[in-house]
Amino acid sequence: MFAQLLISGIAQGSIYAIVGLGLTVLYRATTVMNFAHGEMYMLGAFFVYVGLHGLGLPYAGAMGAAVLASVLLGFLVERITIRPLLHAPHISLVMATVALSYLFKGIARLFWGRDIFPLPPLLSVRPIHVGGVLLTSQDLLITGTVALLLVGFFGFFHATRQGKLVQAASQNLRGAALVGINIGLFFGAMWAASAALGAVAGILVAPLSLLYPEMGTRVLIRAFAAMTLGGFGNLGGAVLGGVLMGMIEHLSGGYLSTVFMDIAPFVVIIVVLLVRPVGLLGRRLAVRV
Amino acid sequence: MRRWRRILVLLVAWMIPGVAAAAEQPGLTSDTIKVGVFAPFTGAASLYGKISHGVEMVYLSANDAGGIHGRKFVLVREDTACDPVKGIAAVKKLIHQDKVFMLHGGNCSNVVLAIKDEISKAGIPYMVQAAASYAISTPMVRNIFHPINTTVTVGTTMVDFALSKPGVKRVAVVTHTDEWGRTNHDPTVQHLEKQYGLKPVEDVAMEKGTSDATPQLLRIRNANPDFIIAILYPADLPVFLRAAYQYGLRVPVVTTQAISIEDQATRVGIPEAVENLYVFYPFKHTIASPEMERWNAMLKRYFPADTPETISFLGTGGALGVVEIIRRAGRDLTQEGLIRHLESLSGFETGILADTLGFTSTDHQGVKRGSVVTLVKGKTVVVGSKWRDVK
Repeated sequence: MFAQLLISGIAQGSIYAIVGLGLTVLYRATTVMNFAHGEMYMLGAFFVYVGLHGLGLPYAGAMGAAVLASVLLGFLVERITIRPLLHAPHISLVMATVALSYLFKGIARLFWGRDIFPLPPLLSVRPIHVGGVLLTSQDLLITGTVALLLVGFFGFFHATRQGKLVQAASQNLRGAALVGINIGLFFGAMWAASAALGAVAGILVAPLSLLYPEMGTRVLIRAFAAMTLGGFGNLGGAVLGGVLMGMIEHLSGGYLSTVFMDIAPFVVIIVVLLVRPVGLLGRRLAVRV
Repeated sequence: MRRWRRILVLLVAWMIPGVAAAAEQPGLTSDTIKVGVFAPFTGAASLYGKISHGVEMVYLSANDAGGIHGRKFVLVREDTACDPVKGIAAVKKLIHQDKVFMLHGGNCSNVVLAIKDEISKAGIPYMVQAAASYAISTPMVRNIFHPINTTVTVGTTMVDFALSKPGVKRVAVVTHTDEWGRTNHDPTVQHLEKQYGLKPVEDVAMEKGTSDATPQLLRIRNANPDFIIAILYPADLPVFLRAAYQYGLRVPVVTTQAISIEDQATRVGIPEAVENLYVFYPFKHTIASPEMERWNAMLKRYFPADTPETISFLGTGGALGVVEIIRRAGRDLTQEGLIRHLESLSGFETGILADTLGFTSTDHQGVKRGSVVTLVKGKTVVVGSKWRDVK
């Protein structure tokens, strides 16, 4: 039972990790906490649904189109909603994302009503048993995707010039602008990358959770908890926090009580804030004065 | 001439009470009856907003048939989003601002329980749409009528059904942890204990919106149950059933009337995973049966985007009861009169509900019986009568 709970916890945590990664990418670059990220997760899945059933695309094509649509959505959100508020108080930006969350849910209801839609599994492979542990293709796919994304993002941020530029620009926007970096494009690209990550998570999960306009709400709270646990603004922290969150949830549900699974993220947030406010991989910022 | 004058006087005398009543009664005119309809049209439970369509179609159909005693229904809609705070605001608006004649709404028990006091104070006739908590009609409030199977009926039926199967002694329960889950869970477990002297071999919680039920499944599998009672929402039951199938748990599952069995097969995506699924069913006939064609067509006529399913018609019986009572009450309609007439409704055959509809001055739980359905070769089959006969 332990091994099974551990494996399923890692798979579940990988979902939180991708969502947390999307939030972190945006937070690092713009310091905006996007409360509409759960809806980007939801819309990504619905874009696949439209691609499959509305446009008649094959699954792979529908997924590709959904990620592209999400990239476009990210750019549009930044250009139309966020950029005009760039010099407004930070709380205005956060409230704008809250408003977007409601707007996207409303739009989803407008187009797809209140029904719950199924998506076929991404892989039609029967679950396999390894040493008494059940491994489903969907779980393996989710975990594998997280691993790839993690490697990709770390590679990009730490091994490429563009990645280092992004990191530098997010540290000092004025300085970046002075050296000729297009800040508008930079912000747009970060929103697009974040939206794409949200969409990828939604696409991976939708065959398991089904599609409905509110499907992003729960996972967003989990992702916040994961980010708090791993360290706000730390890419590795978001992934580590997400995976640990999933493991905590499943192990506590299996051995303590399933009721604990509901409250696990809130307990984690409180404990982390009390014991180590910067999270597991977070670092205190030292400012030279 | 004198004779004609007498007839005229009698005619005016006959009309005056109706006109006077209409003048005094909120939401009632000589040609309209204003009905306040409220449901979760937005929010996490907006799926249940479509229950309201099954209610509204009855009023709209009555209007298209010429109305009742010269009056047509005017529906005023409010959204509760399944949120008690919004529910209270919606009901206050309908009563005090829109001044409706009666209320017909509420699909979330938490909302209906929150508005119970407000409605009780206002004294306005209120027909519940589909909120099922037994606490809505127990203790009874004189102006609140509950025309669907309560969570007590659903819970006892699920337990009786499970225990009617030969050799079933070990029952596991999986429930959501919200108000809806609790109001279904408690009477179910109480009935299991009181009637059969059994405790659930495993009693697990499942959070709404989860995509993995592994911990719940492993706990239940370790408890080795003969039957599972699943008190889960339509989006969550497929997650549980799929996991049960993947983890090799081939145990019958019975669930509540919140589930449309027709959709589960599609949503679960694995036909074998729903082979042993049983659903409490409030209607006489299955959705696809010729007997339901009349209701399916009515829904399609007024709400073409809706696909008829079980939850579409949960509130229809109550609306049919209201229309029948307004017809019986005649032209001289008052709020108090409507309540009195509803309390005299007995054994009313709605043509859709499994049970007859009826209220008395001491009991406002209008329906107390449902059946159980399952899928046989992809088709929904009512098994209720069979297992009741066995008992």
